[in-house]
Amino acid sequence: MIKATINHYHHHVSSFTITGHADAGEYGQDIVCSAVSVLSITTVNGLQEVAGMDVDVDSDDKNGGYLSVHIPVTADSKKRIQADAILDTFQGGMTDIASSYSQYIKLNTAN
Amino acid sequence: MLAMNLQFFSHHKGGGSTANGRNSAGRRLGTKAADGSSVHSGSIIYRQRGTHIYPGNNVSRGNDDTLFALVDGVVRFERKGRDKRQVSVYPVAEAAK
Repeated sequence: MIKATINHYHHHVSSFTITGHADAGEYGQDIVCSAVSVLSITTVNGLQEVAGMDVDVDSDDKNGGYLSVHIPVTADSKKRIQADAILDTFQGGMTDIASSYSQYIKLNTAN
Repeated sequence: MLAMNLQFFSHHKGGGSTANGRNSAGRRLGTKAADGSSVHSGSIIYRQRGTHIYPGNNVSRGNDDTLFALVDGVVRFERKGRDKRQVSVYPVAEAAK
């Protein structure tokens, strides 16, 4: 079971943490795992490469199953808009996955 | 930048590790001198764990339960009681009787 928590600060996503393993299939065939993997990794890379945000990333690359991202507050409105677009898209995707595959992923959002 | 790993939130190959997967080399136990063969003093006759076969006449047991000859002679595997076996070594003159 994957557990994801998305935290907000003044209506902006300020951090998110994803832990666990989906167990929705054999290694290499676990569609829920790959969906969450691609969505979360693309979000981190997008924040860094597209929005130019200096996000704080903590992940267990060796064993997988742990990713924690903290997005700093920025005064640059352009970066903020781009980051919000990426993060809101990320949250929408995670919400959709969680609703369709609720036995493999649990999503919590906190303000 | 994070490397794209589509299995990042998946169990490792094989669904997790197992505690098994180890094995030790064979210990080559068993008979080293057949019944009726001649041996020298100190020759190993039988390698075993525990007393599968007991030491008989002119045979002794080592620390690892190995049976070895105490004298030169001929090997004889014999019965010991109702359901046990022993091995003895008889010097050539005695063996001829």
